[in-house]
Amino acid sequence: MAPPRAPRSLARRLAGPAGIGLLAVAGLLLLALSSLLGNQAVPVGVGFRILLHELSGGALFSDPCAGTGVSPAHCSALTFIVWQLYLPEVLLALVVGAALGLSGGALQGVFRNPLADPFLLGISSGGTLGAAILYVYRIGVGQADLYLPLFAFLGAIATGLLILGVARGRHSSVETLLLTGVAIANLLGAVLALVLLYNPVGGEQVTFWLLGNLGLASWTVDGIAVGVVLMLGTVLVLFGRDLNLLQLGADVAQSSGVNANRVRLHVILLASMITAIAVAFTGVIGFVGLVSPHVVRRIVGSDYRVVLPGSAIVGALFLLGARDVNYLAFPSSVLPIGIFTAFFGVPFFLFLLYRQRRLAPMEGR
Amino acid sequence: MWVAVIALVAVGAGVAGTSTYFALNPAAQPTPAHSIGITDDLGRNVTVPIDPARIAVLSPSIMDEVYRLGLRTHVVGVDCYAAAFGGLTTDYSSDQIALWNLTPSMCVQVAPTLSPEMLVNLTPSLVLASTIDPLGPIEKITTQLGVPLVVLQPATLSGILVDDSLLGEIFGVQSTASALNAELAAELYHATNLTVTESFPYVLVTYSDDSNGYWTFGPSTFGESLIELAGATSIAANATMQWPELSPAQILYANPSVIVYGYGFGLNESSYAGGPDWSQFGAVQAGNVSGIDSNWITEPDPTMILDGLPTLIADFHPGTV
Repeated sequence: MAPPRAPRSLARRLAGPAGIGLLAVAGLLLLALSSLLGNQAVPVGVGFRILLHELSGGALFSDPCAGTGVSPAHCSALTFIVWQLYLPEVLLALVVGAALGLSGGALQGVFRNPLADPFLLGISSGGTLGAAILYVYRIGVGQADLYLPLFAFLGAIATGLLILGVARGRHSSVETLLLTGVAIANLLGAVLALVLLYNPVGGEQVTFWLLGNLGLASWTVDGIAVGVVLMLGTVLVLFGRDLNLLQLGADVAQSSGVNANRVRLHVILLASMITAIAVAFTGVIGFVGLVSPHVVRRIVGSDYRVVLPGSAIVGALFLLGARDVNYLAFPSSVLPIGIFTAFFGVPFFLFLLYRQRRLAPMEGR
Repeated sequence: MWVAVIALVAVGAGVAGTSTYFALNPAAQPTPAHSIGITDDLGRNVTVPIDPARIAVLSPSIMDEVYRLGLRTHVVGVDCYAAAFGGLTTDYSSDQIALWNLTPSMCVQVAPTLSPEMLVNLTPSLVLASTIDPLGPIEKITTQLGVPLVVLQPATLSGILVDDSLLGEIFGVQSTASALNAELAAELYHATNLTVTESFPYVLVTYSDDSNGYWTFGPSTFGESLIELAGATSIAANATMQWPELSPAQILYANPSVIVYGYGFGLNESSYAGGPDWSQFGAVQAGNVSGIDSNWITEPDPTMILDGLPTLIADFHPGTV
């Protein structure tokens, strides 16, 4: 069965690998420039020399600050800032943005609901509770980049399994699953409020963790995130064809040899695990997973074989863009990135929503 | 296509596995040549250089101790909020900024999130932080830099003296620390003797208010210890939370004979007077209301004992001072 066709001329022009490739090139360009953006000024020339020096393993620009007037001690600090702080942060933004975009695209496909996002099933509430327990009870202070993601991931994944278990897995309807997720998310929210009420120490950190940040970035964290998202994301993208068939209804999918319930369960599990990884490393970053698939559908149509990888790329660019806007708007402050994805995402989402309704009232249903 | 899929999954597994290995087995940091081993308030064993020249102090209470030990010239950075939220002025009062000669260039943003590059750029040789700071990210960046992190968070008033001794040992100013501790111990002893024969009034010490009521100190807090040492009983002494908010009804029922409010950071008597049912409280009607610098009752440092304690004694027992 042929997948649904792209609805617009722009989509036809950019559909397929060319569009995806264009977005990827834009991403690489943005990556290079973003690696020099932060709230500690790095001269552009010195920054690029440091990047080339480190990327070449020291073969290029043996002293990246030579002739620039930057002292050796300050050069060492700048090298650390660019190579150990900014670049890992940029990469984490790309990976987490990709994870959220991919997860959002998959869940919108499986629920056939354009309002679905990676946090729809409430697994972020479990991740938040896990992080809050760590912050409030000061667990693993010396190993924060291990314990924080571990607690958040376990909280998120345990919540996902609990929701699936309570909703009795594949034997439940989509509505039951969603309502179970909402109910358990509310319950965990109440537990979180209780924990913070009686243990206000750490409350501020939890609040800001809830708004998302990239502060945990490092080469090791990036490695784990890239590896896991690459593994699970690759498998999830393979469900694109099945998701296309699911859009035509469970009966049609079934008659084409697709076990709708099994596909739903697998996609939800994979998307939940990818989201859990994102939550574990950066907290709850809203709107990326909701907006990215909409953007991709407008560009390349609604073929999920393209929408899924496209959502990953747009999500990556979106989160990186939000990070950069943060530093451009507030050069001497680091604010939670979730604030900027909301500032960025909400107007854009509303624009898409109303434009879509005006042009094609039934699209996206 | 399946080859590509298997290759991608294999690469992902390899990258994740290798990164996890390095996360679990971090490279050991070299030990500085002239260093001593100390145990900080979290029980962490830390090797610190003797008399470090450049220190980042990420808590106002530690800054107070450092200043009183004559170590201001060592300080290159202090904690602050994001510049968009007020920078230094959110953590430090104008008096502290002037007294300690703090400048915006010393600002290390710790809230709403840590700005690690601000810390890196100062090239500190030691970082002093407390548990109100985002310790996880700070620990991570100091480990990467190979800079020792010492966490100072006294659990009791006497813990302040212990921290003074610890700082004295690190910076080689033991005699200054001993002199400061003698002063602190004398103030504590003096307070105990002054109030031991007085009757304990029932009091409310509030450090903030909102439309629901007044925030105060509950059990096992420095504020509560200070109130008790100053010869009074907090109306929230039996609260179930450490920093409870009391409703006007609770305060009217408890009927404290003295109310002390914390000022600074935008709060003053008129802001409390605008709080719910303030004018109905017996202490307010009797005129037994006074203000105190919020820092003196909330920050566990020598100033809490040397300035906060005598002020509270004077408020609770006007005839004894």
